[in-house]
Amino acid sequence: MSYFFQIVVSGIVVGSIYALAALGLVLVYKSSRVANFAHGQIIAAGAFITYYLTVSIGVPVFFSFLASMIITFFLAMSVEKIFLRRLIGEPIISVIMVTIGLGSILDGLIYLTPFGSENFSFPVFLPQQPLSLGGVSISWTQLVGVIITFILIGGLSWFFKKSTIGISMRAVSDDQFASMSVGISVPRVFGLAWALAGLSAAAAGCIIGNITGLNFDTLHAFGIVVFPVIILGGLDSILGAVVAGIIIGLIQQFSSGYLDGNWGLSGTGEVMPYIILVVVLFFKPHGLFGIHEIERV
Amino acid sequence: MSANSWLATGNFFTKYKQEQRTFLTSLDRSFFTFFLVLLFGWPLLFELSNKYMLVVDNILIAIVAVMGLNLVTGFAGLISIGHAAFVGIGAYTIASFCRTMGDSHIIITHFWPVLIVVSGLVGAVFGAIVGLPALRLKHLYLAIATLSFQMIFEWTIQFMTFFNQGQTIYVGRVFWFTGKVGRKDHYLFWYFVILTIVILLGFGIRNLLKTRYGRSLVAVRDNDRAADAMGMNPGLTKVYAFALAGFFAGIAGALHAYVYRGVGFESFTLHESIGYLAMAIVGGLGTLNGSFWGPVALKFLDLQVETLAETVGQYMPSGMNLATALKPFTFGLVIVLFLIFEPRGIANWWRITKSYTKLWPFRY
Repeated sequence: MSYFFQIVVSGIVVGSIYALAALGLVLVYKSSRVANFAHGQIIAAGAFITYYLTVSIGVPVFFSFLASMIITFFLAMSVEKIFLRRLIGEPIISVIMVTIGLGSILDGLIYLTPFGSENFSFPVFLPQQPLSLGGVSISWTQLVGVIITFILIGGLSWFFKKSTIGISMRAVSDDQFASMSVGISVPRVFGLAWALAGLSAAAAGCIIGNITGLNFDTLHAFGIVVFPVIILGGLDSILGAVVAGIIIGLIQQFSSGYLDGNWGLSGTGEVMPYIILVVVLFFKPHGLFGIHEIERV
Repeated sequence: MSANSWLATGNFFTKYKQEQRTFLTSLDRSFFTFFLVLLFGWPLLFELSNKYMLVVDNILIAIVAVMGLNLVTGFAGLISIGHAAFVGIGAYTIASFCRTMGDSHIIITHFWPVLIVVSGLVGAVFGAIVGLPALRLKHLYLAIATLSFQMIFEWTIQFMTFFNQGQTIYVGRVFWFTGKVGRKDHYLFWYFVILTIVILLGFGIRNLLKTRYGRSLVAVRDNDRAADAMGMNPGLTKVYAFALAGFFAGIAGALHAYVYRGVGFESFTLHESIGYLAMAIVGGLGTLNGSFWGPVALKFLDLQVETLAETVGQYMPSGMNLATALKPFTFGLVIVLFLIFEPRGIANWWRITKSYTKLWPFRY
C-alpha cells in the first residue's frame, strides 16, 4: 500500500511541474491563439541561467531564481515583439512553424554553450534527508518545488481575477475588437502574456533542474510533453492545466510504476500521455475545461 | 484567334480541354524534355563520388516525402507534424519483410518495385487511420494529434523486439536486369529509380489537381463549411488527404530503406518531421514545384553549414562541436526568415522569374 501512496506522491509532484510548464502555453494560447512549440527551450534557458548565476557568479539560489525569471520574462517578451507580432493574422501553420523555428534557433544557441551537451546538477541547498510520512517519503526539493508551483499558480490566478492588467488580458482573450474599443492595447497584452509564460517557464525549469538534474534533452522534452496536458485541460483554461497536469502526472507515474516490467513493457511512462491525448482527441477534443468554438461560414 | 504554339502572349483558350493541357506551349514542352534529358544524362557524363551521390539520392527521397506533405498541408491545409513517422511506416514495412523472410529473400531483391508500392499502400492505410481525428478536429488539435502519432510510433519501434528495438535492420542488395546491383553502382542505380518515381508522382499530382478529387482538397482548405454546402464531404476528403500523404511517405520510406540498405529508427524522429515541414514551407506550401525547391534548398544548406562548421571548427577550442550548434541555428533562422519575408516560399521566386521572362524584351 505504501508503494501505491509513494506513486501518488511522485505523480502529484511530476503533475504539478507539468501544470506549471503547461501554464505558460495556456497563457500564450489564451491571449493570442498561438501554440508555442519553443516552450521547452525557454524552460531549459531559465534553468541554465539560474545554474550559471548560482554556480559561476555565486549569487544566492533564491536571487538567481528570481533573476532568471526576470530574464526570461524579457526574453519571451522580445521574442513576441520581434517575431510573433509580424505574424498576427497569418495562417496557423505559419505561426506554429515560426515557434518551431525559434525553438531551433534557441537550440543552436544553447548547443554553443557547455549546457547543450553536458550534465549538471544544482548545488544542494535544502536538507538531504527526505521527509517521511507513514512510509511515504518525499524529498525536500520535491516538496519545495510543489509549494513554489502552487504559489505561482495561485499568484497568477489572483493576478487574472483582481488586477486591472489581468482583467484586460482576459478581456482580450474573450473578444479582441471589443477590448480594443474600450482602450486596451492588444499588442501589449500579447507581449505580457508571452512574458508571463517566459516567467513561469523559468520557474518550471529551475524546479525540474533541482529535482532531476540539468540535462538539455530532458528539459526541452518538457516542451512537447505539455501538449497532452493542455489538450486534456482544454487549451485555454488555467484550472484545466492544473487539473490535467496532475492527472497526466499521476497516470504517467502509475503506468511506469505498475506496467513497466510486466508483460515485457518498458518506458510506458513516456508514451502514456500521448495515448491519453489520442483518446481525448477522439472523444472529448475540447478537453475538460475548454470552450467549444462555434464556427460560421 | 490562332495561338502561337511556341510563345504564349496571353490566354486564348476556347475550350476547357485546352486549359487542362500539361504543357501550354511547345516551348514549355521542349524545355521540359531538355530538362529531363539533363537530369537523366548528367550522371553518365560526370562521375560523382558515392558520398555526393547519396546526398542527391537523399534529396530525391525528401522530394517524394515532401510532395505528400505538401498535398496534406499545402493543398488540404491540414497540419501534419508526424510526416517522418509515415515515412518510417514505409521503411519498416520493408524491414518487417526482411525480418520475416530474411534480408536477401527473392521477394526483397527481385520484386522490389512491388514492395515499394506495397509500402506506399501500408503508409496510406496508416495515414487514413491517423487522419480519422480530422473528421472532428482542425488546426492546432489536428497538429497535436499527428504529433502524438509521431511519439507513439517512435516508442513502438524502440519497444518492439520485432523491429530490433530501433537498431538497424539490414536490407539486401537488389537485382536489375543486368544482375545484382553492386556496391559501386548502388547509389547511381537508385538515382535513376527515384528520379523516375519522382517524375511519375509529379505528373500524378499535377493531374490529380485538375480532377475533382484534387480540387476538393483545395476547396476544403479554403473553407470546409462552404465545401460541404457545395456537396463535398469535408471529413472524407480530409481522411483521404491524409491517406494520400501516407502513400507518398510510404514510398519515400521504402526508397530510404533500399538506398541505405538498412532501416534504423533515428531517421524517423520528430526532428525529421519538422525538417519535412520546413522543406515544404521553404519550397512553398500549396505549389507542386515548391516540393522540389524546398528539399534541394535545405539539404544544400545543411551541406554548406557542415563544411563551414568544419573549417571554422579548426580555429575553435577543441571539445566544442560547432556543427551540432550551427545546424539547428541556421535551420531555425531560415524557417523564421522565410515565414516573415517570403511566406510563399521559393516557388514564388520561380513564379516571378517565369512571368518576367515571359514577356522578356518587352516589359511594362
